[in-house]
Amino acid sequence: MPVTNQPLQGGYQLLNYRIDRQISRGGFSIVYRAFDEAGAPVAIKEYLPSSLVLRTEGDVVRASSAENLTSFRYGMKCFFEEGRALAKINHPNVVRVLNFFRANETVYMVMRYERGRTLQQQIQMKQDQMSERFVRHVFMHLLNGLREVHTHKILHLDIKPANIYLRTDGSPVLLDFGAARQTLTSNRPKLAPMYTPGFAAPEQYREPDRLGPWTDVYGIGASMFACLAAFAPQAADARVQEDHLVSAKKIWAGQYSDNLLEVIDWCLRLDPLERPQSVFALQKAIRDIAPRKRKLTFMGNLKRVLFTEIGA
Amino acid sequence: MRFTIFQESRKGSRKVNQDRVAYTYGRDTLLLVVADGMGGHAGGEIAAQIAVRLFIERFQQEAKPVLRNPLKFLQDTMLRAHAALGSYANQFSMLETPRTTCVAVVVQAGHAYWAHVGDSRFYLFRQGGLIGQTKDHSKVQYLVDQGVIRAHEASDHPDRNKIFSCLGGLVDPVIDLSRRTPLRSGDILVLCTDGLWSVMPPPEIATYLTSTPILKTAPQMLRDAEKRGGPDGDNLSLIAVRWGAETLADESSSTITETMGLGEFQTELEKTVTLTDRKGQQRDLTDDEIERAITEIQATIQKFRR
Repeated sequence: MPVTNQPLQGGYQLLNYRIDRQISRGGFSIVYRAFDEAGAPVAIKEYLPSSLVLRTEGDVVRASSAENLTSFRYGMKCFFEEGRALAKINHPNVVRVLNFFRANETVYMVMRYERGRTLQQQIQMKQDQMSERFVRHVFMHLLNGLREVHTHKILHLDIKPANIYLRTDGSPVLLDFGAARQTLTSNRPKLAPMYTPGFAAPEQYREPDRLGPWTDVYGIGASMFACLAAFAPQAADARVQEDHLVSAKKIWAGQYSDNLLEVIDWCLRLDPLERPQSVFALQKAIRDIAPRKRKLTFMGNLKRVLFTEIGA
Repeated sequence: MRFTIFQESRKGSRKVNQDRVAYTYGRDTLLLVVADGMGGHAGGEIAAQIAVRLFIERFQQEAKPVLRNPLKFLQDTMLRAHAALGSYANQFSMLETPRTTCVAVVVQAGHAYWAHVGDSRFYLFRQGGLIGQTKDHSKVQYLVDQGVIRAHEASDHPDRNKIFSCLGGLVDPVIDLSRRTPLRSGDILVLCTDGLWSVMPPPEIATYLTSTPILKTAPQMLRDAEKRGGPDGDNLSLIAVRWGAETLADESSSTITETMGLGEFQTELEKTVTLTDRKGQQRDLTDDEIERAITEIQATIQKFRR
C-alpha cells in the first residue's frame, strides 16, 4: 500500500511561522505558504524525501527504516547545498532565501513568497500562441538570473516551465534548485535525481560528468520550445535512440523570428558541445537580431496546426 | 627484538568506537600507535582510522630496514596525518574536518621514542614505577601547570575533555616529542586513550601489568576499566608491551623478531570499522554538522541581505 507523507496542517506553528497551506509537493520536499510574525507571506520548503521518510501523522519526521535514516541524513546534505547556493544569490530573477532552520527532525528553507503563476500554468491557460515579445521578455530576464547562478558555480539542472515563476508584473523568477544538489547522490538509487523528461539534457541521463552550463542551456531551449508548442519536446534519452524532434525553425517558420527559432534549435542540440556554451553566449545570440513582426503565412499556419494535432 | 604485546579497543558504553589501535614491526623496529577520533560519529572514526593507517604505511615505507631518524619520522607523520585529514574533508566536501588525538611510539635499537598530540597517553613503567609519560594537550593539564587547579581536581573538572591540540584541527597541531630513551628488559610500555586513563591511575596500571603476564592481565584491566566507566563509559583502548622476553610465564607468547626477513613486516590493525566511507560512499551527517551547516547558511543569508 502506498503511503504518502502528511503535510503540516494549516495553522501549525513552525517556529516563527504559521503554516497556511501546502503550495506544492515534489519527490524531495513539500512547499507551504506561511506567514511570518509580521503577517507577511513566505514560502517554506520542507525537506521530506518521500522514498525515505514517513510522516503519517503529527509533525515529526521519522525515517521509515534505519538504512533510510542514513540516506535521509545524506540527502539533507544536498538540501544544505541548495540553501548554501541560494543564500549567496541575491538577484531579482532568482528565488530569494530568507531563513533556514531545523525542526521536526528535518530542515526548512524559508523563501520570499512570490505572487503570480508558473510558466507552466501560463502555457496551459493560454489558448492562443505566446507572442515572441513575451517569450523574449521572460527568457532574457530569466537568463540574467541563470547567469548569476552559474557565476556561483551552481547548475540548476531542472529548468522547465514549472520551475519558472511569473510574477504578476510579468518578471520571471527561477525556482526550485532541488536538482542542483542531486548530482551529488547520483550513485544512490534511493535519492536518484528525478529529471523531467523533455527538459533534461541527454547528458543528465547518461553522462553526469559532462554536466555544465550547456546542460541548463538545454533546459532553457526546451522551455522556450514548450512556450511555442504548449508541450515538451521529445525526451532526450529517446532522442538519443531515435530523434523525432522537428526543428523549431521548421515548425514555426514565419510565425516567429528566425533568430528565436534558431536559438531554440541551437539550445536543443544533443551534443553538449554544439550548444551555446554559456548563458552569456546564449544571451548574445538572442540579442543579435531584434524581434521582427512576422505575418502568419498560410503554409506556416498549416504546419503549426498539423504539428500540434499530430504531436512530436 | 623480543617483546610481548597486547592491544585491544573497546566501545565502552558508546554506540561507536572512535578509537583505533595498531602496531607493526620489522626485524629491528617496532611501531605502536593509538588514536582517539573526535566529533561527529563517522568523522571521528574516519580521522582515527586515517591517522593510524598513515602511520603504518609510512613506517613500512621508511623503515628500510630501520628508521633513520625515529623522532623526525614521528613528527613528520603527525603533520602528514594532519594534512591528510584536511584534504580528506575537502575531497568529500565534509562540513567539518575529522579530528583525532594520536600517540605513537617507535622502539628501535633498544631505545624508545614517542610523540603525541592531544590527550591520548603513553606511560613507561620500570619495576612498577612510572619513569616516562606524555603530558596531555588539554585545558585541565594547562590549568594544573598554571597552578589554577590541583592535579586531583582535574579528573572531574567540567573541561576535562577539552584539548587544544589535535590532528585535523583548524590550527596546526602541537606535537610533543620525547627524548631517545633506553629501554631495559622488563620495561612496560603503555599507550592508551582517555577512556582508560580517566578511570585507571598509573599505579593501578602498573600493578596490573608488572606482576603477571600481560596477555592475561591486560584484558582483565580493560574489563575492569570498562566496568568503572559505567553507563556513560567512553571508548577505551590499550596497547601494552613488555619489553624483552616474558619471563613470568610461557615464552611462546613473546614475539621474537630475529627470525623475520629484512623488509618484512607484521601488522595488527584493530578493525572495528563501522564506517562505510571509503571512496565517496554514502556518509550521513552528524547533528553537529547539521547545526554548523544551518549556522553557515544563516550567516550567508545575513551577509547577502540587501
